[in-house]
Formats: sequence, structure tokens, C-alpha cells
Amino acid sequence: MNGHDFPDALKQLLDEFSRSGIRELHIRKPDFELYLSTEASAARPQAATPVAAPVSAPPAQSAPAAKPASAPLTPASSLPADAVIIKAPNLGTFYRAPKPGAANYVEVGSQVQVGDELCLIEVMKLFTAVRASASGTVHAVLVEDGAMVEGGQPLFALVRD
Amino acid sequence: MPIKRLFVANRGEIALRIVRAAQALNIETVVAVSDADRDSAAARLADRSIVLGPAAAAKSYLDPRLIVHAAKESGCDGLHPGYGFLSERAILPRLCAQHGIAFVGPEPDVIDALGDKLRARAMAGAAGVPLVPGSECVASSADARREGDRIGYPVLLKASAGGGGRGMVIANNGDEAEAGFHKASAEAVAAFGDGTLFMERFVPEARHVEVQLMGDGNGQVLHFGERDCSVQRRYQKLIEEAPCAAMPDHLRRQLHESAVALAASVKYRNAGTAEFLFDVQRQEFYFIEVNARIQVEHPVSEAITGFDLVQEQIRIAGGAGLSVSQQDVEINGHAIECRINAEDAARDFMPSPGRITRWEPPQGPGIRLDSHMSAGAMIPPFYDSMVGKLIVHGSDRADAIARLADAIDNFVVEGVPTTLPLHRAIIAHPDFVENRIHTRWLEQVLLPDYGKKAA
Repeated sequence: MNGHDFPDALKQLLDEFSRSGIRELHIRKPDFELYLSTEASAARPQAATPVAAPVSAPPAQSAPAAKPASAPLTPASSLPADAVIIKAPNLGTFYRAPKPGAANYVEVGSQVQVGDELCLIEVMKLFTAVRASASGTVHAVLVEDGAMVEGGQPLFALVRD
Repeated sequence: MPIKRLFVANRGEIALRIVRAAQALNIETVVAVSDADRDSAAARLADRSIVLGPAAAAKSYLDPRLIVHAAKESGCDGLHPGYGFLSERAILPRLCAQHGIAFVGPEPDVIDALGDKLRARAMAGAAGVPLVPGSECVASSADARREGDRIGYPVLLKASAGGGGRGMVIANNGDEAEAGFHKASAEAVAAFGDGTLFMERFVPEARHVEVQLMGDGNGQVLHFGERDCSVQRRYQKLIEEAPCAAMPDHLRRQLHESAVALAASVKYRNAGTAEFLFDVQRQEFYFIEVNARIQVEHPVSEAITGFDLVQEQIRIAGGAGLSVSQQDVEINGHAIECRINAEDAARDFMPSPGRITRWEPPQGPGIRLDSHMSAGAMIPPFYDSMVGKLIVHGSDRADAIARLADAIDNFVVEGVPTTLPLHRAIIAHPDFVENRIHTRWLEQVLLPDYGKKAA
């Protein structure tokens, strides 16, 4: 699967999955693999080839009391040298969707323009949008949905068109 | 419930001090840092550090929501605010309470009440604490003379609507009080559109004394002796001592009793300090305010009592009562602290952030250094310039001064200018040695000469 032509069918599948109450969905084919989980801490299945980053359903109402900041899903060393890294402006909880049940702002492969919203950072129920500082393609999502991020932590890697 | 994991919502030496105190109590620590403090000594020593946001304090250390969010998400059940920043902002303990985090400090309502000068003054009066003698509104020059005679000269005529020294006149006798009434009233009308005046006794040469308090929140309050912080510049303390050697024992007892009575009257919880003006000529003291937090100068009280006040703070916040009773608190010897700032005293105390290239502190019996600095450490330009506190403990004041002089002489700091040479000059001055100083002494007596020599 190539993120550049993210199929509408998959978007529908994501929405259906979010509403379904199913906790985990794993589809594997010779040239395609999809893993969906509502658990932000779910282990990502090992894949031989790069695939879309795990897509978590919108966050549960309350996060566990003690949750370490998640490690980047993509090692920084594997990013293209010219990637634009979008960082967290401050500490907070990282949310990829505008509200529970809604689709994520962006996925790997999404085209974004300068100023487009990429995610929300929540501090004490106060949500601040993080916006793209460059136009291009979302190359990687570096943090799991619902995780606490620290000030300055890399969130997304964009590749300019 | 005892605190298991403590969030440290501060930076610099006090963050390090809190981490060490928690570690001594086998409590895990999480230190909040700004982007500029990622590599701070406290961050390295703590079990974990969390970057709140950018260097600007308003977007990191001064944002209570960021801080409590970080404390909650990192699984902390206690939060120590240190001093400065949010330590006396009631919103911080209120947010902590909403999220089940024990705040290491007083109840938010007590912080609010004590933070309001008029309410604090009324509470002190109700608890029988001496206030600066003064008047209600003064309506005429005849009133001014009568009130002046009653209060005792010199007196200060002040505009009730005033501030910043405008509409303020000092009167040394009845005639000056009458003339001063007309002058101050006219000034007050011109400046504030309101000529209402009141009068207060003026203490030209006052000492600043303060009592270290610790309350259990149920009305039991202990004192850990008093401190004398009369070496000040622009209301900033440079040198603090304990005890106040200039105060006779009978007054000292009254001072302690007043401070304890005030704190007990509000069922004060955790560490606090009651500050007073000490009129040496009249041998009287008057209430100024209560600081509802641990203070910078707490180590001098620790030195003369042998108690660790920060550990006691953390225990009390975890629900324990006071670990000692008043008769266990004995005063031994004399302690002096100097605040070492990265400032150039010869250039009007210009802050001098930068990198420390050499840092070789003195060592020896009776010497304590509370500092987050080391060779290679960076002093960022975003925060206050204090790089450490040098504390000495001696058998008496003269012994402490001698130890401090040796300690400063053996303290090597390179890379940035510090106030160490100024401290050395202060403690060598005959007025300091003979303890004839007051809160305006540094600015009036030592600094004018110091500037000349340096120029």
C-alpha cells in the first residue's frame, strides 16, 4: 500500500472501526498490511516492508495515571535528511483527531499545506492545534495517539513536494 | 498517605535541593524543566525529567496547567513548588487537589489570605501580633499633630490612594507633622485625585528579622528560630544570618510567640516565614508579611537547628504530623549564608549569564554549598542570576564570619563575574563585624564606596 493514494475505502474502514467497538484489527496480505488498535500502547506487528503507521482509534476518556512519553515510532535516523520535523510547542497529550470518534487530521501520505492542522496538544482540557510549518507529504507520525509529549518533542516528519 | 513520587515544579539550586531531600526519604522524583534546563543538575539527578516547553518562564515554569498536567501524566502523587515561580499562587494547589496530588505547601485559601497585605495585617492584629503603630484617616493638620504625638516621631504621612513614594512626607516633630499634612495632602490630590492621608511610624534604621515556621495544618505550629536578613539591595536579600544576634532574648521569645500565634490562628500547614521589622532603637518589632513557602535562606535555620526543613515539608504534605516538638528544636551556634549571583557588582549588578569555566567550591567543617553549578555549566539568560548559596556554621557570629571569609577566599569561580567579591567586602566591613547594619546600610554605606573603588 502506498500512502500517496490513500484509498477512500480505508478511510471508511477507519471510521467503521472507530465506531465498532472492536479493539484490534489486523489484515495481512503479500503486498499489504494493516493493523488497527484502540490501545495506544499496543505493540506494532513486525513488518518486513514499510507500511502505514499503526492507526489508533481516538483516545479513551482518561489516560492511565502513569504513562511514559512514548518513544518515536520511527527512529529519527531513518528519516530523510531533508525532512521537516514538526515539534510539540509544549508538554501535553498528543491527539491525532479533533475529537473522539473523528478521523485523524492526517495520515502518513497525506498532503498538507502550510498552516494545516496536524494534531492537538491537550493541557488540562485546553486543546491547541499544531499546524504544518511547511507544505508537503506526511512522511511519518512519530508519536502514538494519546501519549504525553514533552515540549520540543518531534511529532511528525514532512517531506516537501 | 506518604508521597511515593514527587514532582519538582522549579529549577536551579532549589530543584536539586528538593530532589536530594526526596531521595533521602526514598521518594521517586520527576523534575519539570524548560527547554533551556534540559541538562540541569536536578534533571540529571532525578529519576526522570520532563520538558514543559520553551525557555520563557511564562510558557514553562509559570504555567500551572502545564505543570499539573505533567505531574499527573508522570504518575506523581506529590508536588513541590520550591520558591518563586508559582510557589505562592493558589491556583497551583487548587489544580493539584483536583487531580489528587498532594501539594507541598499551605492550603490555597491560606495562601490567598496571606497574599493580600490588608487581610494579612488584619489576621496578624487579631492574633495579637504587633503592627507598625499608625493611624486611621487623618483629616486635618491638627489631627496630624495629635496622631504624630501619639504614634511617636519620626512618622510617615502617606496617601491612602498612594504608592511609589508619591504623597509621602516624613515628619520629625509636631510642627513638621502639621506642615507635612498640607504638603502630603496637596501632593496626594495632585497625584491621585484623593487627599486622604494616614500616618505610620517611620523606622529609619530597621533590621529585617523573620521566623521560620512549620505547621501541621491542625493548629500545631513550631518555630525553628529567627533569621536576620538586613543586608539588602533594592529589597533583595544578599546575606542572611541565624539567629539575629542583635536581638535580646526576651524580645526573641516574643517574636517567636507572635509568629507561632499568627500561623496557628489560620491552622497553617507546611513551611512558612513570618517577616518583621525590628526597630533596634525602640526595641520593638512589627509584622510585615508571611511568605507561604520555603525560602531561599532556609539553610541557615537548618544549620543552627540541625533539622532538614525540606524533608519535613515533604513528610507533612504526605500526611505525617510534625516529626518533632518545640522542645526538640535547640539553637546551636551561628550560621551565615551569602547568595552568590552571576552579577557584576562593579557595573551596577549587571546580570552576567554565560558558561562557568572553573568551579572549585571551598570544603571543610561547617561549610555547605547549595548550588546547581559545576565547571562547564551554563547559566541561561532567562531566569534569575543566583548560582548558589554558600552557608557556614560557626560556634558564634565571629567564628561564622571568620569561616565565611576563609570559604570565600578559597572559592574559585571563572567564566562569569559573581557577587563573591562583594560578599567578601561586606563581611570585612567594621559595621558588619560589629553588627551595626540595617536594611539600607548596604546601599547607603558600603555600595557608594565599593563603586568608587571598583571604578
